[in-house]
Amino acid sequence: MVFSDLFFLFVFIPAFILCYILGGIIDRTLLNKDVRRTHQARNMSLVIFSLIFYAWGEPVYVFLMLCCVLANYIIGLLIDRQERHRKAALVVGLIINIGILGVFKYANFFAETLQLTGLNISSPNIALPIGISFYTFQSISYLIDVYRKESPVQHRFIDLLLYISMFPQLIAGPIVRYGTIADNIHRRRASASDIAYGIQRFLVGLGKKVILANQLSELSDLFLKNNLDSLSVAGSWMGIIAFTLQIYFDFSGYSDMAIGMGRCLGFKFNENFNHPYCCNSITDFWRRWHISLGSFFRDYLYIPLGGNRHHQALNILIVWFLTGMWHGASWNFIIWGLYFGIIVMVEKYTLLKIQKYIPSIFLHLYSMLLVIVGWGIFYFDDFSSMLTFFNALVGNTKELTDLLAETTLFDHFWLWIAAIILCLPVFNGLSWLLRKCVPNTSLRTGIATTVQVVFSIAVLVLSTALLVGATNNAFIYTRF
Amino acid sequence: MKHRKSSLTYIILIAIVFVAISVVFDTFPRSRMSQLEKRELATFPSFSWESLADGSFTSKVSSWFSDSEPFRDELMTLSMQVKHLIGIAPTEDNIKFHAPEPEKQASRPKRKGKNPIYENADDHSETDENTLEENAKIANAGIMVVGKDKNVRALMAFGGSATGCTDYADVANYYKATFPDVNVYCMVIPTAIAYYCPEKVKRYTNPQLPTIRNVFAHLNPGVKPVNIYFILKKHKDEDIFLRTDHHWTPLGGFYAAQTFAKVARVPFRDLKSYEQHVVHRYVGSMYGYSKDIALKNAPEDFVYYVPTDVEYTTTYIDYTLNENYRIVSESRPQEGPFFYKYKDGNGGAYCTMMGSDQRLTVVRTSTKNHRRLIILKDSFGNMLPGYLFYSFEEIHVIDNRYFTHDIVQYVREHHITDILFANNIFSAYLKSTCNKYRRFIKEQPDSIAPEAKSNVPEEITEVKPDSISL
Repeated sequence: MVFSDLFFLFVFIPAFILCYILGGIIDRTLLNKDVRRTHQARNMSLVIFSLIFYAWGEPVYVFLMLCCVLANYIIGLLIDRQERHRKAALVVGLIINIGILGVFKYANFFAETLQLTGLNISSPNIALPIGISFYTFQSISYLIDVYRKESPVQHRFIDLLLYISMFPQLIAGPIVRYGTIADNIHRRRASASDIAYGIQRFLVGLGKKVILANQLSELSDLFLKNNLDSLSVAGSWMGIIAFTLQIYFDFSGYSDMAIGMGRCLGFKFNENFNHPYCCNSITDFWRRWHISLGSFFRDYLYIPLGGNRHHQALNILIVWFLTGMWHGASWNFIIWGLYFGIIVMVEKYTLLKIQKYIPSIFLHLYSMLLVIVGWGIFYFDDFSSMLTFFNALVGNTKELTDLLAETTLFDHFWLWIAAIILCLPVFNGLSWLLRKCVPNTSLRTGIATTVQVVFSIAVLVLSTALLVGATNNAFIYTRF
Repeated sequence: MKHRKSSLTYIILIAIVFVAISVVFDTFPRSRMSQLEKRELATFPSFSWESLADGSFTSKVSSWFSDSEPFRDELMTLSMQVKHLIGIAPTEDNIKFHAPEPEKQASRPKRKGKNPIYENADDHSETDENTLEENAKIANAGIMVVGKDKNVRALMAFGGSATGCTDYADVANYYKATFPDVNVYCMVIPTAIAYYCPEKVKRYTNPQLPTIRNVFAHLNPGVKPVNIYFILKKHKDEDIFLRTDHHWTPLGGFYAAQTFAKVARVPFRDLKSYEQHVVHRYVGSMYGYSKDIALKNAPEDFVYYVPTDVEYTTTYIDYTLNENYRIVSESRPQEGPFFYKYKDGNGGAYCTMMGSDQRLTVVRTSTKNHRRLIILKDSFGNMLPGYLFYSFEEIHVIDNRYFTHDIVQYVREHHITDILFANNIFSAYLKSTCNKYRRFIKEQPDSIAPEAKSNVPEEITEVKPDSISL
């Protein structure tokens, strides 16, 4: 199931809210004092609905996820309960998680790569379970945090299952560290202001996905999906810019919805994006884009490898190789990761040292150009299409422009404008403007609430209308 | 929102809207048919453990839910309205281009002569049928919506080449060779873009006259060409093509029938012998295909003409199709009206003549001149027979997609004297169209699927292909 699906919005969510409220009533009235504050019934309803949510799209692989959680539960206990073999237990846990990822995500890729070397290996044809990259990384984060004694071990299987399978962040992140929400599992409270913020954040994410990303995906597909041989220069640029905007609104929209739902339930997930297209270097871009993945690799891989202290260049390349590979079992993702790894490394010794002397507009244009080129590598998983696309992008094609490019710009004019503006921190700007223009606090609150209500209802109704008849709403990052 | 009161206000107001939508979606009767897209909507899937295990059941439940909401067409209209508002019109031509969806796309409009797909399409001898089928789908190279307000018009870009479409001529020649004693005529019906394409985007569609001339150049001397290109051009300022539909109008058909009657040397009456009827507020197929609200906002009149002083009876054999559009049964011959009455605003008004393509139609008239005509047609051809009641004593209308008989025997039994091929240029360009006509002769083409024959009621179903019916 995906968030941007009418069945999820108007069947799953209402059913979940009713059961969750019922769980709260049971917690308060039927359970004894010792467990009433630990949200057992609520947590049980959240786990059940999370499993239904996952099984809706993966009716068989839900058992793989359950086995994965069980294995991590046992290994977590082994790490915690004895000192002697805790490192060995951690290694076993890492092997299991990485092994599951290797088999279910990369087996086909490894086989196809070995076939290229002439080895006679048949491809195992294993379907990729949705969200496997996210829940295995969360499992790894749990084991390492327990090993480092940064978080307490989870003694109840159902609560560890809750952490890993929680539907708001199950299939496309953000990668929530166990330490971030460990306390919230048993002790959490959602105030009216949390719920209001959560709903608003969810609707902002819904709007980003349905109103912006889905429309932009139609534009990018028009240019990039077929007939690349006849792609014009203008078409190639419009296609990849549309994809650049699409992937941001798609992924950050999902993160907004996840953070919003989490907040409504009393969980506070960390931010995953910070206006990445406002970056002034590629290094800066990666501090703003998919923050949870970047911090995961930083804390669990880069620093343990030696970080800045030993073999920094090698460490950077390893991290970026794996960042690319995490995104997909295809060489273009690895090249995409290394592409950014090399740029980050070069920037470290060049641009970052002279950055303050360069006008920010040039830094921004430089960064966006490299980001857009990067998305070109990311989009095409076959090299022939990638080559054709980049040929068109640099002008090595028959035509400068075509009817599709000419009319797409004007037919979706306000979509382009809105998408570009909404890459900027406009909500912060509007909030600042309101504070400046309306000094009276109660009047300001009234205006802000009215605007938020109107905006939220408009997004909900419009998103609903746009989702009618739509059957292909999958988020890009759910396939990773 | 830091203030508890404003937070509660926000939560309550959003909850009211959310609950209202949920109640409507979860409890109101679901939509079953989309007038907008002219198709049946998804139904709740049947359950099996296998479908549950492979995920297809849950996937179909989600699809069913999103496809059949209450007030579906109204919500979809709202979404189209929004999509319309996000565009601007930089020039007076107000040209919008709706490219085919990528997965259905065969080709994008290109400068003529520069696309290898077009060039390959000419060489019929060296490519297989599938390739030709794809090449010929250049036909649907996207939809242009041009003009403003009440003059907005949808045009389908044509990608055929000046040396293509020869197979259509070949099949007409083949019929003449098979029926040497029968008059065989070949008509290629141009489409609206041949006459109404704005100058600045002409380079994105190919001209149709060279293709039509190429067809006629390949006809054997025994086959009579019916060139209607110029008479339509002469009357292009009249409403001879629908603005919101991919078809022509009955008036366009009138001028074509007049030209045919001259070639066939049969009597023909002018429009004084007809009574004019109008279906107001007609919005045709291009609205659903382009999803462009500008077309819905510019409805047109569907004007048709009913002959007044000729007697005629119309007999139909109706075909029932399965979900793969294969004929699974046919009815016994039954009489019915030739002209069906549609209410104002009905998007199906193009079916006024004969009601449907999925039937074999025989019109017997009071004209007695021993001339009996077969029209081998696509949906464009439906506009012709209504003007030929004064010209032939029998008119048999056969759609290239739906015919179960042996045409050799059919021609003999019904003493047919004339055969007219009347297909639009997009359809004529398709190898598959021509092969269907060929198979009418060699064998029974769409033979009835035996397993389904006994179970299907003898009535017309409303199943329509999810593609532009040509």
